[in-house]
Amino acid sequence: MSNEVEETMKRIQSHKGVVGTIVVNSEGIPIKTTLDNTTTVQYAGLISSLADKARSVVRDLDPSNDLTFLRIRSKKHEIMVAPDKEFILIVVQNPTD
Amino acid sequence: MSPAKTARVSVYAAKKGVKSSTDTNDELEEWRRGKQLLKPKSQLDLSDAELKETIGKQLSTLNPQLPDSIVEFNYAAGGFISLPLPGNTVVVYELQGTSMHKDSEEARDQMVELGIDPSTFEESSESSLDTEPKAEAIEVKPEEEGEEATEAKEEEPEDEQAKPDKADEEPEAEGDGEGEVEVKVEPAKPPQKGGRPRKLTNQFNFCERAALTFNNPTRSQETQTVPPPMATFSANVLQWVIYDAYQKDFEAQQLEKELERERKERDKAPVSRHQASKKGQGRAQLSEAVQGRVLDCWKVLERMINQNTYDDIAKDYRYWDDPSDEFRDEEGTLLPLWKFTYDRTKKNTITDLEWNPYYYDLFQVCFGFFEFLKPTAEGAVCMFTLKNPSFPDYICMTESGVMCVDTHPRYPYMVVIGLYDGNVEVFNVQATCKTSAYKSNSVTNKHKGIVWEVKWAPDLPDGELNFYSVSTDGNINNWVLMQNELAVTTILTLFFAKESVPGPDGTHLKPKSCASCIKLHPKKPLIYLVGTEEGQIFKCSTAYSSMCLFTYNAHLLPIARIDFNKYNTDIFISCSSDWRIKIWEDNRLEPLFVFDLGDRVGDVKWAPYSSTVFAAVTSEGKVYVFDLNVNKYKPICIQAVVSRRRNRLTRLSFNPKLPIIIVGDDKGCVTTLKLSPNLRIPCKAPKKQQYLDQWTLQCMKLDKLLSLVREPVTLTFPQDLAGTDVS
Repeated sequence: MSNEVEETMKRIQSHKGVVGTIVVNSEGIPIKTTLDNTTTVQYAGLISSLADKARSVVRDLDPSNDLTFLRIRSKKHEIMVAPDKEFILIVVQNPTD
Repeated sequence: MSPAKTARVSVYAAKKGVKSSTDTNDELEEWRRGKQLLKPKSQLDLSDAELKETIGKQLSTLNPQLPDSIVEFNYAAGGFISLPLPGNTVVVYELQGTSMHKDSEEARDQMVELGIDPSTFEESSESSLDTEPKAEAIEVKPEEEGEEATEAKEEEPEDEQAKPDKADEEPEAEGDGEGEVEVKVEPAKPPQKGGRPRKLTNQFNFCERAALTFNNPTRSQETQTVPPPMATFSANVLQWVIYDAYQKDFEAQQLEKELERERKERDKAPVSRHQASKKGQGRAQLSEAVQGRVLDCWKVLERMINQNTYDDIAKDYRYWDDPSDEFRDEEGTLLPLWKFTYDRTKKNTITDLEWNPYYYDLFQVCFGFFEFLKPTAEGAVCMFTLKNPSFPDYICMTESGVMCVDTHPRYPYMVVIGLYDGNVEVFNVQATCKTSAYKSNSVTNKHKGIVWEVKWAPDLPDGELNFYSVSTDGNINNWVLMQNELAVTTILTLFFAKESVPGPDGTHLKPKSCASCIKLHPKKPLIYLVGTEEGQIFKCSTAYSSMCLFTYNAHLLPIARIDFNKYNTDIFISCSSDWRIKIWEDNRLEPLFVFDLGDRVGDVKWAPYSSTVFAAVTSEGKVYVFDLNVNKYKPICIQAVVSRRRNRLTRLSFNPKLPIIIVGDDKGCVTTLKLSPNLRIPCKAPKKQQYLDQWTLQCMKLDKLLSLVREPVTLTFPQDLAGTDVS
C-alpha cells in the first residue's frame, strides 16, 4: 500500500505544472516535501490553520457534515488541499503552464 | 378639668404668640396660610386678647397632694387617733453598709478571731477614738481634707511595705479620716503572734499590681515551596466539538455494551487464543486504513491536477457543439478529446474496449496484440476514468496478452478477461488488482487457442456468477465461479459444415471451426450468436449442445464483432475483415444492409441513443458513423482519427450516457471522440403522436425503415382461383 502511495506521489510530482507537493502529519509537521524548507514550513503552517478553520466552518453549519477537500485558486497558483484527521496533503500547481 | 385645659391652651397660645411675634419663619407662615386648622368642637373660642394674656404659674416645695389629716382606728381606744404627718423626705436608695463599729460586739468577735486582743486594741485605739470628734469636725470642710486624704492614700501602700514596723504609729498620726482603714491595716502586723496570716479582703483594701515582662523580639522567617507545575491550555469550543464529544461518548458506550456481551459469551465458551494477536492486527489495520485514505486523497488530488491541466478539453467536452453542423445537412463530425495511454503498454494493441456498466466515466481497456508474428511479453487490462486521463485507476497486469474483457453488469468490479494463451481470469478490482480472484488451470482446464471473447451470462438460479468464452479451438465454454475455482462446461463445439476428412489411418476427422466472437441475446437468456473465423454466424441455444438453430453465411473472412440492436433485438450487425458490415434480421438468410468500407473493419457497434445509428472503425484509422434513417447508402461521418500510415484502429465503444465514443488503436492509445449534434439527432414525434416517448419513436423509426428494405423470404405465386372454378 505504501509503495502505491509513493508511486502516486511521484507521479503527481511529474504532472504538468505541479510546483510542489507536501505531506503534513497530524501535528502540523511537514514529513515529506518537494519544495525548499522555508516555503514548506510556511505552507504547512498556513494551510493547516486554514484547513482547520474551513473544517470548523463546515462542521459548525452542520455537525454531521465534514470537509473533504479544499481548492484555493490564486492568480499564480492553485493550491489543492486534502485535509484529514491524521494528515494533510498539499499540492501546488501552476495551471497556466 | 377646665383650669388644666385652659392652661394648656394658654401654653399653646403663648407658643403661637412667640412664633408669630418672631416672624422669622416666613415659609412656615406661608405653609400655614393655606391650611384650615381643625379644632375639636368643644374647644373654647378665645379672642386674640384672651389668647395673648399671660397666665403666671408658681412652683413651691409644698406638696399640695400631701394628706393632711391621717387617722387610724384604734380598737383599744375605741376611736380614731390622728397620726403624725408624713415627712417630705422620700427614700430613693438604701444600702446597708459592711463596716461596723469597733466597740460593737461583732467587731470584738472579729478581733478575737483574728487573734487580736480586744483589750490591747482598745487601749491603743483610745487615742484614735479621741481624735474622732476632731475628724468629724474636719469633715465639715471636705475640700481641704479630701486632698490630704488622697495624698495619704497614695503614700500608704509604700509606707506599709517599706516600714511595716511603723505602721501602728503612723495610722495614729495620720489616720484621722481613715478609721476604717486602720482596722484593715492591722492584720498585716500579727504574723509574729502566730495567728493565721489571713487577710480579710474588702473593697477598701484593694490594690492593683501590674508587671511588665520582657517582650520577645519578633522574628520573621520565610520559605518558598517548589511552585506546582503550570501549563497554559487554550481551546475553542464550537458546536461541532460538542457534537463530536457526544458522538465519541455514544460510541464508547456502544463499545462497552459490546465488550460486556463478549465477556459473557467468553465466560460460556472456552478461552480462545486469538485475543493477543487481534490487538496487533488492529494497529496494523489502522495504519493500513490511514495509508488507504492517503492513497485515496492522492488520487483525488491527481484528478484535480488533471482537471486543471485538461481544462480546455473538459470545456470542449461539456460545451462545444460543432456550430457548422447547422449548415451541413446529414453530416457530422467527431471532436477528439482526451487521449489515454499507459507507459507500460505502449507497445500493445488495444484488443478490446468497454464502458463500465455502472460508472459512466469508467472504461476497461485490454492490452494484447493482433500481430501474432510479433507477440508482446505481457498484457494488461486497465480501467481508465475520464476524470484522470493521465493514469489508469486500476491496472491488472497479466503474463500474456489480454484479448477480451467483460464487466459484470450487477457487480461492476468483477472483470473477466480472456488471454492469448487460452486462459480466462476473473479480477475483483475492488479487492486487489495484483492477483486474479479466479483463474483457469493453465494445464488441463483452459482453451487451446486464443480466447476471443468473454461475456458474463445472467446469474444462475443459485446466484453463482458465470460467463461464456469463445476461442479458436472451436469450443464455447461456460465457466461458473465456485467457492475456490472455476468450473467449466463446454456448451458447444463448432465444426465445419463440410464432411469429415479421412485421417491418415482410416479414421475420420471432423475439422473444428474457430469461433471469433460471441454475443448473448439481450432478451432471451438461452440464445446466443457465435461468429467464426470462417465467416459464419451460428445462432445457438445453450439448451442444445450438439446443433445450431440457424446458420448465416455472413462473411468471407473472420468475423470481428456481432452486436444486437438496442431497440429491436431481432436486428443485429456484424463486421469482418472482408471490409464489410452487414445488418441482419433474425431467421433471414440474406442481410438487410451491406456496407463496404474499403478496409478491414475492426469493430462495429450500435449506438445506445438511436435505433438507426451505428459506428465502425477500420484499419486505415478511420471512424465511420452511419445513420440509416438519414442515409441508407453512405456514412454520415468519416473521420480519420489516427495517422493512416502508422496506426490502425482496432476497437470502438459508445458511452451509454454521454455523446462520446472511445476508439482504440494498435499503439496502446485510446482516443475519446465527441459526436457532433448531427450524429445524434433525437427523433421528433409526429404532430398527431406527441405523447410517444423516445424509445417508442426509435422503434417506430427502425420498423419503418425495415419495412422498406425487407423482401419476402420467398415469393409465392397467388393461387389461380379462376382456373379451379372452371375445372
